Amino acid sequence: MGSATLQGRSERATIAALRAGRASLGDLWRYGRPAGMTALILLLCFLSLYPMVMLLYGSLHSTPPGIPGTFNLDGYLGIATTENVVVLANTIGLSFVKTILALALAVLLAWIVARTDTPGRGVLEVLITLPFFIPPILTATAWAMLGNAQVGTINLAWRWLSGSDTTLVDVYSYGGVVWHMMQYSTPFIFLFVVDAFRAMDPALEESSRMSGATRWQTFWRVTFALMLPVTTSAFILSFIRGVESFESAVFFGTPVGIEVITTTIYHSITQRAQPDYQSATALSFAALALMFLLLVMQNRLLRGRSFTTVTGKGYSPNITRLGRLRWVTFGVCILFFVLTVALPIGQLLLSSFFKFFGFYQADMLTFDHYRSVWENSSFWRAFRNTMLLGVAGATATMALGGIVAYVTTRTRWRGRRLIDILAWLPWMMPGMVLGIGFLWGFAILPHQIPIYGTLWALLLAYVALGTPVAVRVTSAAYQQIATDIEECSRVHGAGWWQTLGRILIALAWPAFAVGWVLIFFGIMRELSASILLYAPGTEVLSVVMLKMWVGGKPEEVSVVGLVMLVLVLLFRWVQLKVIKKRISTL
Amino acid sequence: MLRRSVLGLLAAGSVGPAWAQGDDWAKVVDAAKKEGKLVMYTASIGSVFHKAVIKSFEQKYGIAVELLEARASEVRERVRVEQSAGRFLGDVHHNGSTTTWLMNRDGNFQPYGSVPNTKNIIAPFSASNVVIPAEVISYCLMVNRNLVKPADEPKSWKDILDPKWSGKILSDDYRALGGGAVFFVVMYDTFGKEFHEQLAAQKPVFSRDLANSERRVARGEFPLYLPFSLQNYNNLKGLPIKPIVPAEGRPYVRFDLTMLKNAPHPNAARVFMNHYLEPESQLVFANAGYAPVVGGVVEKTLEEIRGLLATKAMGTTTPERQDAMLELAKQIYK
Repeated sequence: MGSATLQGRSERATIAALRAGRASLGDLWRYGRPAGMTALILLLCFLSLYPMVMLLYGSLHSTPPGIPGTFNLDGYLGIATTENVVVLANTIGLSFVKTILALALAVLLAWIVARTDTPGRGVLEVLITLPFFIPPILTATAWAMLGNAQVGTINLAWRWLSGSDTTLVDVYSYGGVVWHMMQYSTPFIFLFVVDAFRAMDPALEESSRMSGATRWQTFWRVTFALMLPVTTSAFILSFIRGVESFESAVFFGTPVGIEVITTTIYHSITQRAQPDYQSATALSFAALALMFLLLVMQNRLLRGRSFTTVTGKGYSPNITRLGRLRWVTFGVCILFFVLTVALPIGQLLLSSFFKFFGFYQADMLTFDHYRSVWENSSFWRAFRNTMLLGVAGATATMALGGIVAYVTTRTRWRGRRLIDILAWLPWMMPGMVLGIGFLWGFAILPHQIPIYGTLWALLLAYVALGTPVAVRVTSAAYQQIATDIEECSRVHGAGWWQTLGRILIALAWPAFAVGWVLIFFGIMRELSASILLYAPGTEVLSVVMLKMWVGGKPEEVSVVGLVMLVLVLLFRWVQLKVIKKRISTL
Repeated sequence: MLRRSVLGLLAAGSVGPAWAQGDDWAKVVDAAKKEGKLVMYTASIGSVFHKAVIKSFEQKYGIAVELLEARASEVRERVRVEQSAGRFLGDVHHNGSTTTWLMNRDGNFQPYGSVPNTKNIIAPFSASNVVIPAEVISYCLMVNRNLVKPADEPKSWKDILDPKWSGKILSDDYRALGGGAVFFVVMYDTFGKEFHEQLAAQKPVFSRDLANSERRVARGEFPLYLPFSLQNYNNLKGLPIKPIVPAEGRPYVRFDLTMLKNAPHPNAARVFMNHYLEPESQLVFANAGYAPVVGGVVEKTLEEIRGLLATKAMGTTTPERQDAMLELAKQIYK
């Protein structure tokens, strides 16, 4: 009895202490939230709005910042030409076709990997995503050798097999541009949707099946419909990225007269005696306006609908047994891997051991390219810088993206829409133009702020460029998690931060891991801003690769590309085997 | 006019860097060593020959060179925005003559004072008080030896107008800054507009991926490439290609050295410029296929290069009419 009384007193004391603690936390929460929101808005303004304002100035001023000139609308008036209408049609057409095809293929592959009993799904998941991580300049070179009309390996093999002198494929065409872009879009979208497929309560599909729907009807009306936030996000991200794509068009389009917005901007900035920044930035803002319309459409499509699939109820992933068909799905994945990875990477790997790319003669066998890269001090310095920026940048970006996504999807706080827009802005501006915005913006900062010419300049640009992806990845995952789990956590006494960490982040962890990898390798590949912001001593890999490429050393670029691929395999292995098993059980 | 020139010179003198007034070169070298380093902005990306000259400079003087490499327009924009923001980070600027001319017009440079080796510069090149010629890129034709028999090789630039080359020419784009634009201007000046109208009818395929273009020809996608930069020949040795300088000569474009405004290491910059014009440095470039700008170097170059460099320098582009010529190229090559 005495001990029971003591225990009761102790509990009351504990509760009182907790209440007192909660009251002070509540005060902190009450005053801290507006302060936090203000800080978040200011940070996003600096990262995305500030360079955009610099660019807007550039589009409305006859000269770039720092040179006397006048404000006018010449940049905008100048883009209304027939030539630019064709460019716009090309850009939208190419991006739309490639995004539709890539989305269909990515959803199919994600379904195969996440929801069927196809053999070797774990390995297939890694293999399917590999093309995304290969520098586009390398796959473009490989495909130029494989698919050129005159002496491309595929056409030579076709002529030898068929005895005809016709051409089977020609990468220098609209089809070539679409195909090259698809190699990046498909794994990109796949990475977005595969975890969403996994995080789906099969009860919904089972209900559909029990109500008499066919497997196809269930896939289309339930599975696909529930995936709308993820698929539309991926579609829009990929479509916008397609509009801003440069490498595919410049390699395979420009030689046959196919111009897109980015090649036109590139022409305005780098191919004229007097760079025309006003025209380039005006064209970019016109493209931005178009892309903004897309976002509005997505919002209208998703507004008022619920896409919750992860609830408080337990469930186990539903795997569709395909029987013999599983070998067909296995074949589809392998075919994708062969076409997008084995062929181009095989060509790169092979070429890295010969003196010249594409010349496979015994007397040209060499390890010189590996030795040259190994002994290149610039490469190692850039490697260290890139690793540092990659790890720090991806982590900071995911942290920022996770917070922004939380505010925009899980709260009704004032200012959340502004935050959403601010986080999106960098994605809607072509990288080569945004790089100029960063250059202008960072250079004019007071000299006491040590950003320009340091690694900070690169880090901040990378965080800004990666935030839209981080936000989309995490917000799509958040949207699948029912609010009742969160409320349950809060009711049981967990604080906001605890709930964020123990519930939302723990449940959305696979998406965080995917986002981190996407951003890390985005940083490794980023060139447009890097070339304008690096200083002696802060070189990054993409800059070193550009130097090798322009310096006539594509074989050394291949070696660096292969090193990056090994890193990808390592990261993906860690992500899939270690993180998912150990950390997702937080 | 004379008054304005005198005032200009006086003004140039007043904004000059703070080096020893007596201009005793030994004192300049000592001051340079005390500065200890210099920062060079260059549009020559990934050039091993450039690095070889830098290395020899570092070894000779113990002055470290920090290199910032980017494309011509990117270098120009960086310098412009840095200087307008009051950031004076670079010392030596190295870029094509057109970009250098534009930047000089915009006031991005300062007079370098005196550099002893400028006296060795040979015609048609000459140094001003701001701009020093550095090396020269020469352009010619390149053929695939497996696809073009010696008898069929073009001997004159006009030979590429033969219908047998129709659809078989891979080319740098004449409508954009670079070797293609230089070729366009020089051919226009030499043969007139008709040359280009006939060449347009040959339907040349344009590509801006220069390094890859040369390899595409080597692999047999196209038998003929132009304009081929001679300095790339070294990188392609062992491939079935052959550079050909036609009878009329070779178009060229000059790279220049300048001192950036308010350079933090002006003495090191001067010593570097002087080193760049040393016959040994120029020989490194000449052996790589660049035409040297000082006398007595061509004679010492490797035999296979000497013959190509000894050919006539046909002409080059001029910055004043660059945009007009690019526009004309756009009209002809649609």
